[in-house]
Amino acid sequence: MTDGRPPRTWERLDLIAFLGATCLFFATIEYLFPKPFPFFRLGLANLPVIISLKLFSPGYVLLLVLLKVLGQGLINGTLASYVFLFSLSGSFASAFTMLAAQRLFAERISLVGISVFGAIASNVVQIYLSVRFIFGLTAWIIAPPFITLGVISGFAVGLFAQKFWNESTWLGRIRESLEG
Amino acid sequence: VKASKDNFFTRNTNPLHLFVTSALIIPAYLFQDELLIRIAQVLLFAGLSTVAGKKIKWMYFVVMVTSITFFNLLSPMGRVLLSIGPFAVTGGALENGVMKGFTIVGLVFISLFSIRPDLKLPGRIGGLLVRLFYYFERIVETKRQRLEPRRLVASIDDILDSLYRPGQRQNPPSGAVQATTTAGAAFMGVAVCGNWALLLV
Repeated sequence: MTDGRPPRTWERLDLIAFLGATCLFFATIEYLFPKPFPFFRLGLANLPVIISLKLFSPGYVLLLVLLKVLGQGLINGTLASYVFLFSLSGSFASAFTMLAAQRLFAERISLVGISVFGAIASNVVQIYLSVRFIFGLTAWIIAPPFITLGVISGFAVGLFAQKFWNESTWLGRIRESLEG
Repeated sequence: VKASKDNFFTRNTNPLHLFVTSALIIPAYLFQDELLIRIAQVLLFAGLSTVAGKKIKWMYFVVMVTSITFFNLLSPMGRVLLSIGPFAVTGGALENGVMKGFTIVGLVFISLFSIRPDLKLPGRIGGLLVRLFYYFERIVETKRQRLEPRRLVASIDDILDSLYRPGQRQNPPSGAVQATTTAGAAFMGVAVCGNWALLLV
């Protein structure tokens, strides 16, 4: 419903809340997929975050990441545990890296590349935290397979994000409304 | 972890009071250095998580404790209990690993029984989370429309179109927050005092 006016702040915040809800929805869908490792995640919940990079300024993207992490912590009941800290650190490391990649490479990088950068950052930070606080230094041996899987899943999620960006009519209307 | 909505905690405790209860339990739990008591506490918290309607994936937590213990054993410490080829299982490393594994898993269980989606966080972020959960419930309720793998983007568009149109604000209903009942208050008192008694007595 666009009338030529730039969207008000509440419209942007409302859309951020909606995208946060879709993050939670994708996180629940992720449980349907088999996992090669117990702690491995495909990262489907990041799809709305990746798309938001092209829709919003960095402040709104970081707000979406915060809502996604808090929402997952509340709905899964992990807000008061190490899982929340891992999720918070991984998600923000990923978001900052994706924002930097987007700023650095501008039009020369697709959502696939941005997603891969984000997945690597998230995995490196989470492995560092698990080595530092849970498993000890010997656990660095798990880093290569985890980062490899992270790159593969980041590539897959990025491919779908790019496809959705190119083909979605709903997203087209959202883009129109945000551009005023 | 999957959750059911109707349980002892949702009927008898205010979400904020329950959150404060867990905050009071955590120090008593973390300062506990007796392994057997720690394990008993973890089992108690797992039981409370089940009461809270959480269906726990036990294998995840077994793998968690086992892998933490395994990686701790790679740094030998204390008396050698067992040798398997070049690999020595030492008493200190084993105790450290099991303690660390149960500590981490116990914190997850505390969080599982004490954190609920209706816990209202303060400020603007809290308000946005209310909207987020409102939209999330609406997405989950959209069962009539299914994702079609052959026209995946179009079918996702159909669902998103039915839920959100730019510029149309929907207001989440303001539901009453559950008050803490006598039974809920009694539980909170016993849980906090019991865990501190295990530490101090």
